[in-house]
Amino acid sequence: MSDRALVSRADEHDDLIPPPTWRPPKSRLPWPFVALIGLLLAGRFWLAPYVQWPALQTWATIFVAICVQALPFLVFGVALSAVITAFVPAAFWTRALPRHPAMAVPIAGVAGAVLPGCECASVPVAGGLMARGVTPAAALAFLLASPAINPVVLVATAVAFPGRPVMVVARFTASLAVAVLAGWTWARFGRSEWLRIPSRPANTSGWAAFGEVMLHDLLHAGGFLVVGGLTAATLNVVIPQSWITGLAGVPWLSVLTLALLAVILSICSEADAFVAASLTPFPMTAKLAFLVVGPMVDLKLIALQVGTFGRRFATRFVPLTFVLGVLVSTVVGQALL
Amino acid sequence: MNRLTQGLVITLVGGAALRISLFSTTYTNYVKPGFRPYLVAAGICMVVLGAIRVLGEWRGAGSAASDHDREHQHGPSVAWLLCLPVLAIFVIAPPALGAYAAGRAAGRSVAPPAPVEPYFPLAADKVTDMTMGEFVGRAWGEPTSLRGHRVRLTGFVAAGDKGVWYVGRMQMACCAADAIAFTVRVQGAARPPVNTWIKVTGSFILPKTGKLPKGTVAPELAADDVESVAEPADPYE
Repeated sequence: MSDRALVSRADEHDDLIPPPTWRPPKSRLPWPFVALIGLLLAGRFWLAPYVQWPALQTWATIFVAICVQALPFLVFGVALSAVITAFVPAAFWTRALPRHPAMAVPIAGVAGAVLPGCECASVPVAGGLMARGVTPAAALAFLLASPAINPVVLVATAVAFPGRPVMVVARFTASLAVAVLAGWTWARFGRSEWLRIPSRPANTSGWAAFGEVMLHDLLHAGGFLVVGGLTAATLNVVIPQSWITGLAGVPWLSVLTLALLAVILSICSEADAFVAASLTPFPMTAKLAFLVVGPMVDLKLIALQVGTFGRRFATRFVPLTFVLGVLVSTVVGQALL
Repeated sequence: MNRLTQGLVITLVGGAALRISLFSTTYTNYVKPGFRPYLVAAGICMVVLGAIRVLGEWRGAGSAASDHDREHQHGPSVAWLLCLPVLAIFVIAPPALGAYAAGRAAGRSVAPPAPVEPYFPLAADKVTDMTMGEFVGRAWGEPTSLRGHRVRLTGFVAAGDKGVWYVGRMQMACCAADAIAFTVRVQGAARPPVNTWIKVTGSFILPKTGKLPKGTVAPELAADDVESVAEPADPYE
């Protein structure tokens, strides 16, 4: 009885539902965005005169600086990734790279030398390569190598360490070695279910696809970049600098300290050589670790990798890269510096 | 986040990038002056990309694609975070790093890397305008090269303990996150308000030992003139 009542009531409602030809009026005003603009204007005119605390301002300067600095590189990297998706046929990569991962990894690593950018650009590019069928291990070797061994970064390193060209050689050797070792390790032990390869829209060619992919990647990677910027700026302001310099005297600890500092500071790889050079109390090997680890593992990069390849990937790949970075820098540093 | 909002957010972020680079010089608070063309290009790119999306959505084109993509592009809600830097730029309007940052970095070694070329000798009978980096570099490396010469330094005022005060300047390699502080203690003049910009003229006080102890104290300047100036176009060195 009650069932029937329900059914009949539902039928009544059915009659009220408009026919399929009817479409709702186009009033899809983006309310959250409108609210955001309201907040911006209100903040600008009412709040701005009151937020003058020096600590907050310093934090905000560093946070905005990291974002502003990374933005052009991110746009460049995302555009390049969209070009790979929309205009380079998938068959190109199978011809350009050897089929066997063990061979493809070093070649992809060396190919990293041609992308003049910092680490923010290389993550979306590596994602685009994987989406186009490049072996993940090779794309990862490219991801690690390109921010550290491209010509712009090497020239910056030479300028920052005048009279010590061996630093450039050491940086190139150690970074390439870490990239290739990490790629091989992933090819041997990595599982495909750990890695979320970025998906692409179905119609993957032409300008429409280019715009779709670029906008999507920009939103996605940009959001995670902001996560990294927030963490880096906060740690930068919260941790007293004297803690760090206090550890300079202990040799093995100094390497680990500067490797960790590189992770926390999240400096662009085109600038990190100048910072390394200013860390005068530290031995050269520790500075090398700073230069090798920084472009491969830092807070904004971790956030970008989590966003692009998934959490399960990042929790395995980030520690692997960090450990390899510290070990290889120590060995190369002992041999060359 | 729906497709229209995605376009609007990207336009907003691109617009903010243009606001600080193309329509003002605020960007020098955060990055090097030479970075401007890249910022402008990135800003234009984003505004165009966002505008195309917004126009397309308003015309109602691509509604078939939008159903498909909604499954694919599920949850870039992290993209809302892109509004945070925009919010920071408009509401907090972060200034260039000043006295607070210089005070924090005081424990860090202040000696800049040794210059490629040796310092050239200073003119004997006139005041030399000098960057803070060069002054600190000479004070650490070749303190005698400053003896008996008057120099003029430009920087902001930072206060220390017990009435001690400093003139400071941040040096930046790429962005404000990597800035390092140079500080010089000023003697023989009253302290202007903190974070105001000054030109201070004076001569280096050579330590009694002839050399500064490494990485612990700021070099000192005996000031004979302190002049208030406007913040320079590039607040960093």
